[in-house]
Amino acid sequence: MSIILDDVYKAFGPHEVLRGFSLEVRDGETLVVLGESGSGKSVALKHMVGLFSADRGEVWVDGRKLRDLPTEELYELRRGIGYVFQFAALFDSMTLEQNVGMGLRRIGGLSEQEIAKRVEECLAVVDLDGLGARYPAELSGGQRKRTGIARAIAARPKYLLYDEPTTGLDPVTKAVIDQLILRMKKELGVTGVVITHDVDSACLVGDRIAMLYRGRRRFLGTPDELKATVDPVVKGFIEGRPELMEETE
Amino acid sequence: MNRMREAWLGLVIVGAIVVAVVGTLWLEGSSFGQSQRDMEAVFEEVGLIRPGNPIKLRGVEVGRVQEVSVDSGGAVVRLSFRVDEDLVLPEDAVVILSPESMFGDWQAEIVPRSRFPAVAYAQPWEPGVLPGGALPDISELTHTADQIAVNLGVLTDRMGIAFSDETARNVASMIDNIEAVTQRLSALVTQQADSFTGVTERVQMAVDGIGSAADQATATLERVDELLAQDDVASTLEDMAVIAANMRDLSGDLQGTNAEIRQTAARADSAFARADAILTRMAAGEGTMGRVLENEGIADDLQATVVELKVLLTDIRENPRRYFSLSIF
Amino acid sequence: MTERLLAPFTAIGRAALSLASGIGRWGVFAGDTVRSLRHVDVWGRLLLEQMSRIGADSVPIALFISTFTGVVLALQASYTFTGAIPMYFVGVLVGKTMMLELGPVLTGLALSGRVGANIAAELGTMRVTEQVDALETMAYPPLAYLVAPRVLAGIIMFPIVTVLAVGIGVVSGWLTSLQLLDMSTAEFLRGLTLFFRPFDVVFTVIKATSFGLIVTSIGCYFGFHTRGGAAGVGQSTTRAVVASSMVILVLDAFWAVVLL
Repeated sequence: MSIILDDVYKAFGPHEVLRGFSLEVRDGETLVVLGESGSGKSVALKHMVGLFSADRGEVWVDGRKLRDLPTEELYELRRGIGYVFQFAALFDSMTLEQNVGMGLRRIGGLSEQEIAKRVEECLAVVDLDGLGARYPAELSGGQRKRTGIARAIAARPKYLLYDEPTTGLDPVTKAVIDQLILRMKKELGVTGVVITHDVDSACLVGDRIAMLYRGRRRFLGTPDELKATVDPVVKGFIEGRPELMEETE
Repeated sequence: MNRMREAWLGLVIVGAIVVAVVGTLWLEGSSFGQSQRDMEAVFEEVGLIRPGNPIKLRGVEVGRVQEVSVDSGGAVVRLSFRVDEDLVLPEDAVVILSPESMFGDWQAEIVPRSRFPAVAYAQPWEPGVLPGGALPDISELTHTADQIAVNLGVLTDRMGIAFSDETARNVASMIDNIEAVTQRLSALVTQQADSFTGVTERVQMAVDGIGSAADQATATLERVDELLAQDDVASTLEDMAVIAANMRDLSGDLQGTNAEIRQTAARADSAFARADAILTRMAAGEGTMGRVLENEGIADDLQATVVELKVLLTDIRENPRRYFSLSIF
Repeated sequence: MTERLLAPFTAIGRAALSLASGIGRWGVFAGDTVRSLRHVDVWGRLLLEQMSRIGADSVPIALFISTFTGVVLALQASYTFTGAIPMYFVGVLVGKTMMLELGPVLTGLALSGRVGANIAAELGTMRVTEQVDALETMAYPPLAYLVAPRVLAGIIMFPIVTVLAVGIGVVSGWLTSLQLLDMSTAEFLRGLTLFFRPFDVVFTVIKATSFGLIVTSIGCYFGFHTRGGAAGVGQSTTRAVVASSMVILVLDAFWAVVLL
């Protein structure tokens, strides 16, 4: 069981973002999708939870086609997916505890004590134990991002989707987040999809790396394969040499 | 959400419900705590009365109209109203509907039948339901004036046989004047929606008309005096001269402020009382003039007219402003 | 040349189309919101909070406005009624105007600024910071979570706030008549009760309810469809206030035609 994007097309008005993007996320791995800013990585990620629906092509999660899924079942399915937003997307009016407990409350069947216990555990996992009573506005960028991760794992999801987890962070915080992503896989055994344009992070956390270029998949392979690639576009991207990437289609 | 906010929300909701419910009941005229009883009256027609209008007894508000509905069969209108429990009704009580002020708000008044004997009351067939009637409206006043004019016209024709052509012409001219006044009054009624100032001007015009009609009448009566020197006729004419003088006073008063209309109405009343007396004598066949009229039934008509006028004058005294009614809302 | 001549018509056509499509999209949005009401478990817990924020917290501004409206109505009525018209008509005018028109409309307009703008800005910010998406990923239907409790709170609380405002407006008109116009309480009350019909209160409530629906749903609509960061939030807020104010006045006329 896994997440599969099959020849997905998506356009916003005249702007074609995805033009036949295909990807298969295998169980247990961490797959990184690399790409330039604005290349449609986030759009692809949002397709995986049904926040966008493909103009053409299909998205499969655990063998179920998202397009045909009734709303109730889609919500059911989403409970198995944790989504870490680029800017954390914490609810400003709630404390960290309430933020992290949101998903749990929706699932139901848990007592308030159980929820509080689980929230505390999740905050501990991201090293924010003790800060549960604070509001998002009182946190640093890195702390917010970690809260976002804690919120995403609270419901013990099978998949964790990270949208630019290290963008805009200082090198130290970035390293902390990278370690956290590795720990999530190791300790919780989640399947991860990481969207980033940071090649170092990608190589560190990714079992496999895909590159999205002009709406299509340009590359798919291990970090070693990425470093050894001869594709001028991929090479230009990882080495930061735009002149190599200038090819006409 | 903390307790204080919840309390505040609750307070707001309860406050609004209290304001809406209590406010509505209170403005509708419900009396809290005081026990009341329901009563009914029947009418042929109820004018502008509607639920919420006051019920009065001797000028004091004692209750409110609850419901106005056409009775099954459609023959009468049934008015349900609620009055104070301990209200003592006058002997042979009836309910009279009339405008409360000149602004279109009506009232129902519980009165003894003897107060407005001439009004046609709808008769209830169940015990406990009061008979009801409405005082004539201004349109009826002008209608009555029209009727007077017609009767006077007939009278003039009769007198034309007895008197000279000139006298007849004078009387005819007087009647024309009265008719003109009547028409102005009719116009006044049809234009009730005009501004208050406009109405006052029209009233002034009408009053001027009445004044000149009265002068005309005086001249006519003097002429009649010269032509007929018999004693009984002379005393009749004296009475009529007094009427003319009263009419002049009436018109003069009408030109004054509206506030004095009560006094004016009283004068007019006495004028008509005299006319009544004269007509009674005429009907009894006293004097030449009486004899002229005796067999023609005109005197009866005139007498009926005077009765109607008296009812109207009572009404003018009670509700002076209704004769200048205009609608704003 | 032809293009320049046609430019005004093009502009009018475009504006008409965008208005029509805007109304259509609002309708779809409203329909979706109604469907989202089945998630009672989602919005049920939030309703009280929103009733408090949208309604109870709006009471001070509504009362402030209606207090001064009552004073002005009484004074202007007495100024207009010099001489010819009896003073108790001040009571008629204050009561009728507060109940039928100024109470609901001024409260609606004030709350379109306070509540509508607040909702549009809040939901707009949530949209551009992906909080709405975050709700979706946590299996909260955003319409049920964000829109339904606000719109329901508006529908419930606008009439409540308006009734209080009308009450205070009438009281302030009465006190003004008493203190500044040398009228007696009996005179004022006579006017107040003279043409009063219980339907006046129903009319007030109908109007206020529709205004509550409009202000909150339009605020939610523009907030929910915000794009493009802080500037987008500002734009949505402005649009929400302008649109709901205009619709309030149109609805005001509509109810007057239909119900009076």
